[in-house]
Amino acid sequence: MFKLLDPILHSQLRLAVISLLISVKEADFTFLKEKTNATAGNLSVQINKLKEAGYVEVIKQFRNNYPQTICKITKTGVDAFEIYVKALQTYMNPNSAV
Amino acid sequence: MIGKVKQDYIKKGIASPVWGVLVILCSLVTWARVQYNFNNGFDIWLLIFFAVIPQIYFSVKEKNQKKFVAHDDSTITFVWTAFGICIFIATFYNSKYGNNVMSTIFMMLYGIPTFITGGIFKFKPMIFGGLICWVFSIISIYTPAPIDMLLMASCGLFAWLIPGIILWTNYQKQKKAHV
Repeated sequence: MFKLLDPILHSQLRLAVISLLISVKEADFTFLKEKTNATAGNLSVQINKLKEAGYVEVIKQFRNNYPQTICKITKTGVDAFEIYVKALQTYMNPNSAV
Repeated sequence: MIGKVKQDYIKKGIASPVWGVLVILCSLVTWARVQYNFNNGFDIWLLIFFAVIPQIYFSVKEKNQKKFVAHDDSTITFVWTAFGICIFIATFYNSKYGNNVMSTIFMMLYGIPTFITGGIFKFKPMIFGGLICWVFSIISIYTPAPIDMLLMASCGLFAWLIPGIILWTNYQKQKKAHV
């Protein structure tokens, strides 16, 4: 059987954000925006969805008098990403899914 | 988009060639001073301490500009800080007791952070550089002090200058590719 894909992660931008965050300890909003080539508004909405799902932690702070948004992947986010990757593999190797 | 995200983080590697050049320069001047019996008027190794100041400045500046924190950042910082402290203690000991065998210890110390950094980043030239430092450290046990300086210069070349140039070249290539 094909495993179900997590609808939260099965979106291009959200998946890009999660795969970026999994490779670093924490990242600035501007870094994510730069790497994903997304607009600030769209990225903000998608990060909020990931936050609501408990996949990322968002820290808002001030740095040199400028607001800064830091994003961090949570343990739930790491687990969800691993499950997503495993589920995706069943689509790539259908024989192993039977 | 996901393809773009998958790009690896590029390492600039500016510090590595700078330290490589410094160690090579200091070692060669020390070797030439003993070989040709001249006095350059000051301890050339003091240059290392002067180089620490811009190094700290650029590190702090880079940290403030950094948009992400990698998992291995703190490991690398702790390893190189420990190395810096060890080098400082060894230099202090050397200046107090003027021990000629210290070059063996210095080369052994050079190998530690180089080998660990190379291992963490899976960067073979640095792993190889670290190993070379240890091999030269063993050789220096059997060689006279002036030759130790040549070995130390070679350590600077293999451990930092060559890997640093490779990193810098790769950085420039990747930068051009992603413009």
